[in-house]
Amino acid sequence: MPTLESKDVAVLDRPDGSLGDLPDFTSDLYKDAYSRINAIVIEGEQEAHNNYVDIATLTPEKEEELVKLARMELKHMRGFTACGKNLGVKADMAFAKEFFAPLHNNFQKALSEGNLTTCLLIQAILIEAFAISAYHVYIRVADPFAKKITEGVVQDEYLHLNYGQEWLKANLDTCKEELMTANKANLPLIRSMLDQVADDASILHMDKEELMEEFMIAYQDSLTEIGLDNREIARMALAAVV
Amino acid sequence: MFGLIGHSTSFEDARRKAMELGYDHIAKGDLDVWCSAPPQLVEHVNITNPSGKSIEGAYIDSCFVPEMLSRFKTARRKVLNAMELAQKKGINITALGGFTSIIFENFNLLSNQQVRNTTLEWERFTTGNTHTAWVIARQLEINAPLIGIDLKQAKVAVVGATGDIGSAVCRWLSNRTGVGELLLVARQKQPLVELQKDLGGGRILSLEEALPEADAVVWVASMPRTLEINSSKLRQPCLMIDGGYPKNLDEKFSGEGLHVLKGGIVEFFHDIGWNMMALAEMEKPQRQMFACFAEAMLLEFENCHTNFSWGRNNITLEKMDFIGEASVRNGFTTLNLRSFLQAAVA
Repeated sequence: MPTLESKDVAVLDRPDGSLGDLPDFTSDLYKDAYSRINAIVIEGEQEAHNNYVDIATLTPEKEEELVKLARMELKHMRGFTACGKNLGVKADMAFAKEFFAPLHNNFQKALSEGNLTTCLLIQAILIEAFAISAYHVYIRVADPFAKKITEGVVQDEYLHLNYGQEWLKANLDTCKEELMTANKANLPLIRSMLDQVADDASILHMDKEELMEEFMIAYQDSLTEIGLDNREIARMALAAVV
Repeated sequence: MFGLIGHSTSFEDARRKAMELGYDHIAKGDLDVWCSAPPQLVEHVNITNPSGKSIEGAYIDSCFVPEMLSRFKTARRKVLNAMELAQKKGINITALGGFTSIIFENFNLLSNQQVRNTTLEWERFTTGNTHTAWVIARQLEINAPLIGIDLKQAKVAVVGATGDIGSAVCRWLSNRTGVGELLLVARQKQPLVELQKDLGGGRILSLEEALPEADAVVWVASMPRTLEINSSKLRQPCLMIDGGYPKNLDEKFSGEGLHVLKGGIVEFFHDIGWNMMALAEMEKPQRQMFACFAEAMLLEFENCHTNFSWGRNNITLEKMDFIGEASVRNGFTTLNLRSFLQAAVA
């Protein structure tokens, strides 16, 4: 076993325990990567807005609440648009549309078939967990303006995650099988989305390893909340790694 | 509820255990997957002390493996995420086992109190070092006489004397046990001089100088891998208490008259019915565990929900008395040189 005496042990070079310098927000390299990451975030919030409006058509009795959630997503979208403008970056929206297309298509298919469980899994669990985890990692390395915006957004996103959890928890007996199937089809998409942005994210000082870990924590927490046991969660998470 | 944060002793071991527990997704992954794996609450356990009081606990595997020591960011995330999970689960007092407390201390994680939307409450955690120090000191007191060492006359070397556990053991040995002479060994000179002043005695030596003189050696530092020791130069008998982590002294030393005892290990008075100590390669995993883990249990049994062992050099003799008495009262004994103890009883 390696010990603290081993040569290959990390050396802490910052006595305050901090992780190091922030990236240079003004460099061309940063701005280029930011044009795609920022676009993904803006598009993600737009997708989220549309998805909650769509979900409301499947549960008309919850329409008021869902429309409220949807409106919050638009507010987030405007916030993140301001982040890009603040850095003088034009978001690459065409890239972002393509980035979300597979997940978007799966959502639309489920919607047209009236599969509320799948719709909630995609939007209220997977996308929200993905957003929360990415925002947590981003906050640690964001420019001061974006940091403040993102901190506000994260608190809202927990509410959204919670909304999906509550419904799935209350209906777990009848929706478990569909949940498993939907997970199997959609979790690998999240993984491949993460892979696609890993290089750009690393220019923003966001490690892929950390993004994945944060996502798994948020996802695992959410499934635990819904009422699945450790083994079931393990089986579901397997879809992300193989 | 008490908690234990632990980890496997190697990546290979971790994968095997994960497979046994049904965590296939992690078990099949490579080291990168493990670096991204969230901490897992893998086991709940109930334990009852000799007077019939039952407490509940949970074992959290941080998914850290020693192979990650070279990845500073990964290691710190593993520790902080495991602590966050413990707090989110509402655990009152959690011990940081194995490398967990070492990483916490060496990587200065005290400055990282905020983990996502959780503010870590330090009073919910303990390094367990007070109990470990007390157990090591008692192991020396109990076992040295069994192999013919009279501690009143003996020279006892403490390797890693200036560390949290090491300095506490030194204080105990010089104030309570009364050993012939304390030999103080550590890498840095200045803290050694301060310790010597604080103790009002003890001789500062290099490791090479101390070993041939010592009748007993307490190791509370990680053993340098490159260290080569000629066992024939050691005194006979010689008692070595391996209180460091990992416990690898027996690979280095063997020979007649040389007795190596795993330090900082305790045994509970009945089987616990858990799986996790098999991970730590305990000889009797149903009863034996690291003293630092047992400290969390003791604090829970005693309703003492504070970060009892925290920071460096805060371990007083009074705290060692308190935890030592709790240890005995709640059914723990120290790990001893078994064959000698049996012979002595016979």
